Amino acid sequence: MRIFTLIFTLFLPAVAALPGDNCKALRHHGQMKEARACFSALAASADAFSQAEGLWGLQRFDDAKLAFTAAEKRTPNSAPLKTEFGLLFFERFNSAEAVNLFTQAVTLDNNYAPAYLGIARVAAAAFDHRASEAAEQAAQHDPKLYQAHELLAFLALEDNDAKKAQEEAQKAIGISNEAIDAMAVLASIDWLNGKAESEWLPRILKINPVYGEAYSTGGHFFEINRRYEEAIQYYRKALDLNPALWSARSQLGVNLLRQSADAEARQQLELCYNAHYRNAETVNSLRLLDSLDTFETFKTANTELRLSRKEAPLLRPYVEPEMQRAIATYERKYQMKLPGPVHLELYANHDDFIVRTLGLPGQGGLLGVTFGLSVAMDSPTARQAGQFVWANTMWHEMSHVFVLSATHHLVPRWFTEGLAVHEEGSASPEWGDRMTPEIVSALEKKQLLPVLELDKGFMRPKFPGQVMISYYQAGKICDFIHQKWGDAALLGMIHSYAARKTTDEAIQENLHENPAAFDKEFFAWLDQQTANTVKHFADWKKGMKDLVASYKAGNFDEVIAQGVKLRDDYPEYTGGESAYELLADAYQHKGNKIAAIAELEKYRAAGGTTVESLKKLALWEQDAGNLKQARTTLATLNYIYPEDEETHRRLGTLLLQAGDADGAVREGKALLALQPFDAAESHYELAKALKAAHRMGEAKDEVVLALEAAPGFKPAQQLLLQLSQ
Amino acid sequence: MKTLLLFMCAAVSLQAADYYVTVAGLGGDPDYEARFVKWAQDLERELKTDPDAHVITLSGLGATRQQVEQAIAKVSSEATETDTFALFLIGHGTFDGTDYKINLPGPDMTGAQLAAALNRIPARRQLVVNMTSCSGASLASLTRKGRIVISATKSGNEKNAPVFARYWVDALHDPSADTDKNGSVSALEAFRYADRKTAAYFESEKLLATEHALITDTANPTGVRDPKPENGQGLLAASFVLIRQRTESGKALSPEKQRLVSKKEDLEAKIDRLKYEKAAMDETDYKRQLTALLLELARTQAEIDR
Repeated sequence: MRIFTLIFTLFLPAVAALPGDNCKALRHHGQMKEARACFSALAASADAFSQAEGLWGLQRFDDAKLAFTAAEKRTPNSAPLKTEFGLLFFERFNSAEAVNLFTQAVTLDNNYAPAYLGIARVAAAAFDHRASEAAEQAAQHDPKLYQAHELLAFLALEDNDAKKAQEEAQKAIGISNEAIDAMAVLASIDWLNGKAESEWLPRILKINPVYGEAYSTGGHFFEINRRYEEAIQYYRKALDLNPALWSARSQLGVNLLRQSADAEARQQLELCYNAHYRNAETVNSLRLLDSLDTFETFKTANTELRLSRKEAPLLRPYVEPEMQRAIATYERKYQMKLPGPVHLELYANHDDFIVRTLGLPGQGGLLGVTFGLSVAMDSPTARQAGQFVWANTMWHEMSHVFVLSATHHLVPRWFTEGLAVHEEGSASPEWGDRMTPEIVSALEKKQLLPVLELDKGFMRPKFPGQVMISYYQAGKICDFIHQKWGDAALLGMIHSYAARKTTDEAIQENLHENPAAFDKEFFAWLDQQTANTVKHFADWKKGMKDLVASYKAGNFDEVIAQGVKLRDDYPEYTGGESAYELLADAYQHKGNKIAAIAELEKYRAAGGTTVESLKKLALWEQDAGNLKQARTTLATLNYIYPEDEETHRRLGTLLLQAGDADGAVREGKALLALQPFDAAESHYELAKALKAAHRMGEAKDEVVLALEAAPGFKPAQQLLLQLSQ
Repeated sequence: MKTLLLFMCAAVSLQAADYYVTVAGLGGDPDYEARFVKWAQDLERELKTDPDAHVITLSGLGATRQQVEQAIAKVSSEATETDTFALFLIGHGTFDGTDYKINLPGPDMTGAQLAAALNRIPARRQLVVNMTSCSGASLASLTRKGRIVISATKSGNEKNAPVFARYWVDALHDPSADTDKNGSVSALEAFRYADRKTAAYFESEKLLATEHALITDTANPTGVRDPKPENGQGLLAASFVLIRQRTESGKALSPEKQRLVSKKEDLEAKIDRLKYEKAAMDETDYKRQLTALLLELARTQAEIDR
């Protein structure tokens, strides 16, 4: 539940006066004792609506709900009553019921502005692009409804449109010189720009000396701009003014958790919970904190890695070296050192990871999230095998760590995401964002955004998939900049953002052209890469359906005849039943092993991640004597799905054959961490690897374990005899 | 499995299953049809690696109830008490609350009808692996003394087509299924392998598991997920060999070799006893004693093999 739900429910002048208006006015001025007395009197009223308003004002939410229900029964056709009831639901974390009531209200009275405003608030809480539209409707239906302009100001600032935010805020203040939420937005603009002493705060506090919401509004904007330390500071200031501002306290707890300040996070969240402020973020964050007992933290000089105890033996040998590799790469590239260790958490339970991203905009489909020096991501076990490449995600998030630090969290979302995607591809050509069918469709419909508007694609997507399309576009922009102007230009843009420059300024300074010219060049460059696929997309879709049908019918000649062109028309497509995989199987059936291997190697190079296809490739490569390639393919699999026993077993054997004893030991230990079915064989293979690595004592321990499982296991017996000589 | 070996150290001698019947029932749609036929063919191929095995495979339109009964009757007429028999069922099953049925072309066959046919086979040691949907409901009718019964599902309510059969077939050719490294795969090893692989499949796909295999080899109609001494299950299944082992017992041994074989068996028994006592021992002491016994066993085996 968004912080500003409380902000905007304080006072709502209706077309006709509401029973609670006078009490709310007292509260609006910070006269809390008087307001409470007023609400108490109202709660004792014989009129059900008045009673409901009174009980709500006294925060007796359950009683208020009952009173509203009774009032609704008596007056079923009152738009104001339904709207107030809806606001109660909204305040108490039930958006669905709230929207239902607001919609009923506008059905009863399609001029009732507060109901439109209610709809706008619910949409805004979900970062839904329809929020502005509904707020505009509210303003149109009631030009004196200054809260509509307050919300429009708030939404504009969320979209980084400070100019519009100021305009709307001034409109609100023009209507009412007590539009303190509009002033809070104006103060937030100052704070975001580094102006700690804003003229607006004293004006707010003159109207309401205990208006903590002013600071928590600032906290919200710092938070969505990833400036979490500052967000924490402002939530604390909010609570200094009003310790009972539970929404601020909940956000404080959530942000402390993001900064790995677990103990204080728990303290703040428990206070909220005990005060019955039990929104989803509070409850889920507390549950996550409870689950952290099942985690273990591993520290080095510059990293802290938190893994579930169950997964730690398997994942740590892979994740920790990869973290070090990423840190070394980025230190060199970004010419900087981080101010502290990187804290990385991998969640085996995807729901726990989701708790980390709650309340942040544009988070659909995320695999990882960075909060500064802290990173949270899905463990490979959190998702279906082959759904994502954990190492790719880790490199992506590590880029954020550096860029956020380098820019003091001032970098715009589009650029840090674009650079992170670009870095994926730099780390490995098999990684990076591929052009999915949704993206091809977006290119077809010309839905990509000008660079100056690209942040909106992340913050307030206008259609499903726009966030992912924005990632792709942002990544391509950084690829383009890298290609044309070099890494120096990318680094230059980082420095520009650190100096509080806008995107317009950063582009002009580093690329020496204006954004419009840049967009023209970029789209032409992108078009060169994608035009062929876009042009043939409709035919490709049909062709692939036919190809799959031919494959299922066992018509492999037809698959080969049609598949090559389909593959080449859309070479980036590696989704389910890709042309590569179908061709590979068709070649295999026709006895052309070389061509089959070549197809799957192309598939791997194109970023294909289907575990079964890659395992098949590794086996074919091995059978064909391409042992180096087989090792490469199996290593790729470890980056995708390290839970596969067979991968570790085969890679361990190949590494041992190739003389890489340490690698073989790593694979052998990973296999045992999976508690394999064939324990005897697994211990034996590890024993051989340890022997090759001259770790004789450990080798003997392992071979004893092998024989403990299977005393008659002859190869292990022979190894024991050798080790005992 | 380790403690189970202790119960086996009285050495139930390993016998091959001499007779196999595989039935792949109706697929209902081309995908399932192809899948069931493939699994049956793969199973047949594995079983026929034993040249002495009598293998009958029925699939597609050739798997009517009459043909199934005829195949089982043929085994009844040929097999003797000392032979072993295994029946593998692949396909769709149904359960109406009372009767389990395997879907065949024409009239289906109930669990009771299958049991009645099987009960006429004189072989004292039998294995039935019912890898159809709803197969858990067939346990009650199929269980009998001396008969190991495995079902791919835990009840008649697990109605999705199981993947267990795929992994059962894999168990017969994947060396990792032979966990005790004695060169053969027992029914228990195959069950554990297939069950484990099935669970791993659902886990990797992030799907809720829709099948949970059961085994019973004590005539108890309630199967178990994890056979072990504590629940009394698995002993018979551990000694029922699916892929026949080449034993040394057929060869004439010199007196010296006989002495060594006896010594080996004695050492194996000591190792089993030591493992049984592990929980009550000091870890270092256990490891020292185990290592010494294993070394002695290894030397003895090396002598035998010389």
